[in-house]
Amino acid sequence: MRQCLTAAVERDVVWEGEFATEPWEAAWASEAIFFVRLLSLESAPAGAGPLLEARVQISPDGTLWCDEGSTATLEAGQSLVAIRARHFGGWLRLCGAVAPGARLRVIAYLNLKE
Amino acid sequence: MEQVRERGPFSPLSTVLYSDDFDTGLHGWTGLIGNYEDRLDNMLPQYRDLRPPMLSNCTVWDTGTGGSANGTYAMKLATRPRCGSLAVGIKRLTYQYAGLIQLEARFAFKPEATQLQLSETDVGSVGLLFDLQNQTERVMPHLRYLNAVAGRPVGRWQVKSRPPHFADIGNSGKTRSHFHLGPDGWEDLPGGDQLLCYNEIATKLNWHYLKLGFDLGSMSFVYLQCNDRHFDTSVIEPMRMPAMANLWCMLNVAFWAEAGTDRRALLYLDSVLLSAEIPQCASA
Repeated sequence: MRQCLTAAVERDVVWEGEFATEPWEAAWASEAIFFVRLLSLESAPAGAGPLLEARVQISPDGTLWCDEGSTATLEAGQSLVAIRARHFGGWLRLCGAVAPGARLRVIAYLNLKE
Repeated sequence: MEQVRERGPFSPLSTVLYSDDFDTGLHGWTGLIGNYEDRLDNMLPQYRDLRPPMLSNCTVWDTGTGGSANGTYAMKLATRPRCGSLAVGIKRLTYQYAGLIQLEARFAFKPEATQLQLSETDVGSVGLLFDLQNQTERVMPHLRYLNAVAGRPVGRWQVKSRPPHFADIGNSGKTRSHFHLGPDGWEDLPGGDQLLCYNEIATKLNWHYLKLGFDLGSMSFVYLQCNDRHFDTSVIEPMRMPAMANLWCMLNVAFWAEAGTDRRALLYLDSVLLSAEIPQCASA
């Protein structure tokens, strides 16, 4: 049976402006999904467009980061978004930006599977 | 020989309750969260952001992967890069006999190597606790190794014995909470000074041996060993409080790391073994 783990990498936090989750070690896994769940919209964005743009980042050592290539957006009216990644080496994090003026209360999960 | 290789330096009591080598997963070790009702934000604020455990192959920027003491992976508790931030891993069981239990672990701690400096005082503390309950009381033996305070090296084992302050959570009358991992209330373990092997740069990791004996019958410390040092635990007391409604026979174990500066503190556990002395008649 394959190992599988879900980590709540952020819980009940408010994101505004740019964000990045804490470094997470994932060397044992071969596939990953970040989920961002919107708990509440604390402040609405100033304009139209997605509430949040997120991208997966990878790292050789957990301190220096570059984009992995996977991206996703959370659109108005959505409460959950998922971003898949494979072939990511040893470290993962999710970073991105919240729409100007918006404040999002979220939970971010990282699901890893062997 | 097989048994010796599997158990490494461990000398378990007659019944092994669990022997967790993190080469094969987290084995039920998970993050700690405070009690809440209806909404997440009514938990005590100190509980809101305790960082959860992950599996690490101990990779650093200069030499790459170091692996764990006895394999590739360790359980890693990583704080945020903020002074006072805590990372906690907990495993929850119940006990079948109120006798001697023994916790053994191989552990190591380091700050995140984000600067080319020794950084030996960046980790504030690392600690462990039992959370126990019998028919009359809840008992929480807490021990920590205070590595440094505000950049000043300390190197001392400490114990927390004072009863905690409880707060009601929500409106049902069923939920209470107390925060017991704060910097307050720690007292020095008599004779508890110990210099551990930090090594010479922030990326060199040395593994330490830890053994703690606790008697569930008398709810008292029995022994504590770290590396070559055996400490006198006869003069220290665990935290005690009246029994709570839903915790009968609880046997929880937790480890934690605390950042001493605005740099991540990392506690690694290669393996954890919990064993017990259970008479034949009680285990049948």
